[in-house]
Amino acid sequence: MSGDKIRLNTEWLCDCGGCHVALVDLHEKILKVLESVTILKCPVLTDEKNYPAADIGILTGSVRTEHDRHAAIEMRKNCKTIIAFGTCAVYGGLHGAGLAHSREEIMDHVYRQSPTTRTDFLPNNSVSSLEKMVTPIDEVIDVDLYLPGCPPHPHFIFEGLSALIEQRSPKAGKESVCAGCRRTMVKTEADTIKEITEGVPDKETCFLSQGYICQGSVTLDRCLAPCPNHGVPCSGCAGPTMQVLTEPTRDIRTEIGQRMSRLTKIPYDTVKDHLERTAKTQYAYAMATKMIGNKPTFLIRKWIAEGEAR
Amino acid sequence: MLEMTINEKACRGCRLCQDVCPTECFAYEAATKKVTVAVVENCIGCLSCAYICPSGAIAHRNHHVVKNFYRNIEFSMRMEKFL
Repeated sequence: MSGDKIRLNTEWLCDCGGCHVALVDLHEKILKVLESVTILKCPVLTDEKNYPAADIGILTGSVRTEHDRHAAIEMRKNCKTIIAFGTCAVYGGLHGAGLAHSREEIMDHVYRQSPTTRTDFLPNNSVSSLEKMVTPIDEVIDVDLYLPGCPPHPHFIFEGLSALIEQRSPKAGKESVCAGCRRTMVKTEADTIKEITEGVPDKETCFLSQGYICQGSVTLDRCLAPCPNHGVPCSGCAGPTMQVLTEPTRDIRTEIGQRMSRLTKIPYDTVKDHLERTAKTQYAYAMATKMIGNKPTFLIRKWIAEGEAR
Repeated sequence: MLEMTINEKACRGCRLCQDVCPTECFAYEAATKKVTVAVVENCIGCLSCAYICPSGAIAHRNHHVVKNFYRNIEFSMRMEKFL
């Protein structure tokens, strides 16, 4: 191994493994990366159980188990630069929805009452203990760089990695998913919010204009907008835009409400109420992070309680 | 001199910027279905258009920045680190 190559460690915590697949999705470009990078630890490529000293450490997934916490701390100790890679690492990810349930409820559901298994006991060895909370990694260790996305599109991975290797600032756009969508936003007479299963959405027109909830306008573009361009409304998997994150009074539901009420005949409050009723879906990817969870206007427990009382 | 640019590729043609602009800076081009900056001299730098734009396509430069004391400190500490 060449001494002047940049040493790279990757490690997965609580995630689906898709972020590591996204690294391989660099395709031929991975050869270019490997010209200047040596991979020392990577759970899908190497059989390295320890944490060798490295220059760059890519961490995917959030901290959910005691092992996750240990791995994150070891990576921080041994890597000069830590990248929180993917939505789970940056914002806690989909399993952030676990915060709406107690640890006992989750353990019971997975190990005792799962309809697809016959076992009826909680494992007490071989499986790392579940922590109380779902924690984005920056609440456990210091993070140097964030690359959200579920997973981040290889375009952004390559740009981020090459910027690091060449020691320059990456070209990281702050645009939303709408910027990459080809649908035209037009003002329409739509007056009701539709589920995506109702009717067939027009291919050329924006989902919001047609009364379908789409999170494109409140989601940072780290994906190049594949979903809305292929007939599926954005589910917000790359996490919120910079303006939702910076401004405490701006929020996923208020921003969609503002835009949708101007594009259609659906009143602002109707959109906002709908998004609050379905908050566990709308905020699924980012609610575990304090950046969203601590917003004074983010009242998910109240919204869930209201929904149950209905 | 204040500059305002619209990323043409990102513009979805929703005309929300035209709706919210208090000083009528924008014009809509029916042929391209995009909005352009017509009279930048009118712009008072309120940034309403930049906030309402679904794509985040509108950028201002050399405008008078009003310091916002009411920001999300959790995110502001991390903002520069985003790739």
